[in-house]
Amino acid sequence: MKFTRRLSLALLGGMSLVPSATLAQQDYPDRAITLVVPYGAGGTTDISARQIASMAEELLGQPIVVENQPGASGTNAMRAVAGADPDGYTLIATTSSPSFVTPALRDVGYDTLEDLVPILNYSGPYHGVVVQVDSPYESLDALIAGGKSDGVTYGTAGAMGGAHLAFAAVATQTGARLQHVPFDGAAKATAAVLGGHVDAALVPAYRDLVRDGQLRLLGVLDGSNDPDFPDVPTLKEAGLSAEFPSIVGIMAPAGTDPVIIQKLEATFTEVASSDEFKSFMTDLSQPVRIMPGAELAKTIEENLVAYREIAKDLGN
Amino acid sequence: MLVDAFFELLNLWVLVAALAGIASGIIIGAIPGLGPTMAIALLIPVTFSMEPIPAIILLLGVYQGAIFGGSISAVLLNVPGTPSSAATAIDGFAMARRGEGGRALRIALYASVAGNIFSCLVLMALAQPLARFALDFGPAEMAMLMLFALLVIVLFGGGSKLDALLMVLVGACAGIVGLDPISGTPRFTFGSFAFDNGFQLIPVLIGLFAMSEVLLQAFDRADEVSDAEMPPLKRSVVSLVELWRMRVTLLLSSVIGTFVGILPGIGSTVPAFMSYNLARARSSEAGQFGQGAPEGVAAPEAANNAVTGGALVPTLALGIPGDAVTAVILGAFMLHGLAPGPFLFRDHGLEVYAIFEALLLSSIPTVILGLLFFRVAIHVTRVQPRHLLPAITILAIFGAFSVNNSLFDVWVMLGAGVLGFLFRSSGFPLPPLLIGLILGAPFEQSLRQALLTSGGGFDIFVGSPITIGLVALIAVSLALSLVLGLRKART
Repeated sequence: MKFTRRLSLALLGGMSLVPSATLAQQDYPDRAITLVVPYGAGGTTDISARQIASMAEELLGQPIVVENQPGASGTNAMRAVAGADPDGYTLIATTSSPSFVTPALRDVGYDTLEDLVPILNYSGPYHGVVVQVDSPYESLDALIAGGKSDGVTYGTAGAMGGAHLAFAAVATQTGARLQHVPFDGAAKATAAVLGGHVDAALVPAYRDLVRDGQLRLLGVLDGSNDPDFPDVPTLKEAGLSAEFPSIVGIMAPAGTDPVIIQKLEATFTEVASSDEFKSFMTDLSQPVRIMPGAELAKTIEENLVAYREIAKDLGN
Repeated sequence: MLVDAFFELLNLWVLVAALAGIASGIIIGAIPGLGPTMAIALLIPVTFSMEPIPAIILLLGVYQGAIFGGSISAVLLNVPGTPSSAATAIDGFAMARRGEGGRALRIALYASVAGNIFSCLVLMALAQPLARFALDFGPAEMAMLMLFALLVIVLFGGGSKLDALLMVLVGACAGIVGLDPISGTPRFTFGSFAFDNGFQLIPVLIGLFAMSEVLLQAFDRADEVSDAEMPPLKRSVVSLVELWRMRVTLLLSSVIGTFVGILPGIGSTVPAFMSYNLARARSSEAGQFGQGAPEGVAAPEAANNAVTGGALVPTLALGIPGDAVTAVILGAFMLHGLAPGPFLFRDHGLEVYAIFEALLLSSIPTVILGLLFFRVAIHVTRVQPRHLLPAITILAIFGAFSVNNSLFDVWVMLGAGVLGFLFRSSGFPLPPLLIGLILGAPFEQSLRQALLTSGGGFDIFVGSPITIGLVALIAVSLALSLVLGLRKART
């Protein structure tokens, strides 16, 4: 009696040990997945992540629970996910700032490329260089020229953000006096340029204010043109070698099984390319920009290097 | 337009949405730590399948309900459910201790409704011109306005000015911890990542007010414990005449709330305290304030509810939200195809006016639901503190954790609780500390932003009509306080 019980237990134990690795891949997911959002509930990153999660859970057959862990520009949540079990049940929907901007400036307790695996990129708002509509600056060149002669102030969403660093690089290259004025969020920087308290602002969500004739869009900080304003140049097209590519993507802790990563990449790509998701994002005034995980990793790597250089110039 | 918009509201779902929104808002507001921001964010997905108008009415009902709901726990337990109801607790709880909790709640309710109606009318009539006016407030103007607000808190708070000043400074110092707003580098974080985010308002608030109340009652139980000293519940009718006598207080508080609401980044706590201090300074019975003066309940409640309409002005007319709640509301409008911004009123005028009218009309269900809710809630005052305190402690821990899902915030809450207990038992006032924490960091940021734009010149602080006006106000209030102080010393 005793013998058989022990034997069967041993057998069971052995059986469960050997094929567990392959089973985990085939059965994945067999329980709820947590998708961490490094910002507060209700922001655009959170709303779009909740939408992509609710659409993906239908394909995966398991619920995806969105968990907000705001604070410290998203680095708290990134650090938590980087240290989570790499079993495919903890993912993060993250953005440029905690991926390659803040890590280039100081120790944040994780290395984006070593501790996390990018799965895909699905969005990323375009940041524009905007001025008041009656501003004397008609183009990026004019703004830089103004910076050389009189000095120009520009507002951004916060100190040491991607937009600030991109323009700091522009200032170094051109020798223009571009004085940064950090605000507490892009909305307040937009208000400041509308009210004429700063000469320019580097902000997203400018479309309606530009179309209404309150703001003038001089250029975009991204690597590609904003489809809403195809004629407005990127910084590079205007002859400045700086950019702030905006990403919104999903990552998993490093060491997650490649089979699981592939399954997630396929699922999220399918969802993000659907018309339903596109029309949802249009309502939210956010673009859909799909990029495979490998390409996202490359973007992050390039920018980490570029931003480290800029940060060094700034004396950080 | 207004009539067409009204017809949009003749829909059962609109009524259901308004009732559900307000009721859940009141309950969420009454629980410390759960604020309107989180409630609205979590309800947005629920509204996906709804029509735009009822969906937005539901969410705005939560916003209005939560600001009012915070006053229920403030009055009955001396535990403000939201930061903005901390001012209401001062006289509201004093009234409740006399057995007049029901009356205090009714005054809070009617004042809230008055503030709502006022700010909503302003929103309907003047959204676009006021939004342009708000843009004239740049960093220099904001810095002077916040300096004025801090002065009002210190000079006209009653009690010792030195105590109030010290507490403001303690709060401002707590606000320094975290990332430097201009250079973006960590400061006073002791190398710990947890401190990068600074001390968050909600955990500090819960600690200072809720946890310290628990500690006070636990250590100083003399007059609280026995049944015999439970005050009997008094009649709680508030007559129209009584409200009419407060008309000037209600109007001034509503104006302050609406005006501050329109400006980005100050929130609803500061105008509540400013209105309280103004009402106290104007009152012929200033000595009653703090001892349970009905106007001390009405003033902050009218102001903090009036903020809701004001805050929607730049959010809807420009697409520029002033704080976290309105940022979430902005997202909700967008998802329902009503993108806020310069085109909102042109493209979706009908829906927007229908929503505004619903906000006005929602005063009726707010009063009905509020009165129903009081009948139950008032009995909390008859529960013995020793039965209530464990529940408050659990809610405090839960509330502090839920803000950022962070255990660090729980420790901040407990630390603030001990500090609050020490300050209160040695007679220091807590409200100036709260205001210092709220305004300290933004004041520093605005000051430094202004100096960055002016190239270091201080002339920017007297460089526009608005800043000159504010500097004059600051000078007048300093002079007034000096004169009052001298006159008091002579008599």
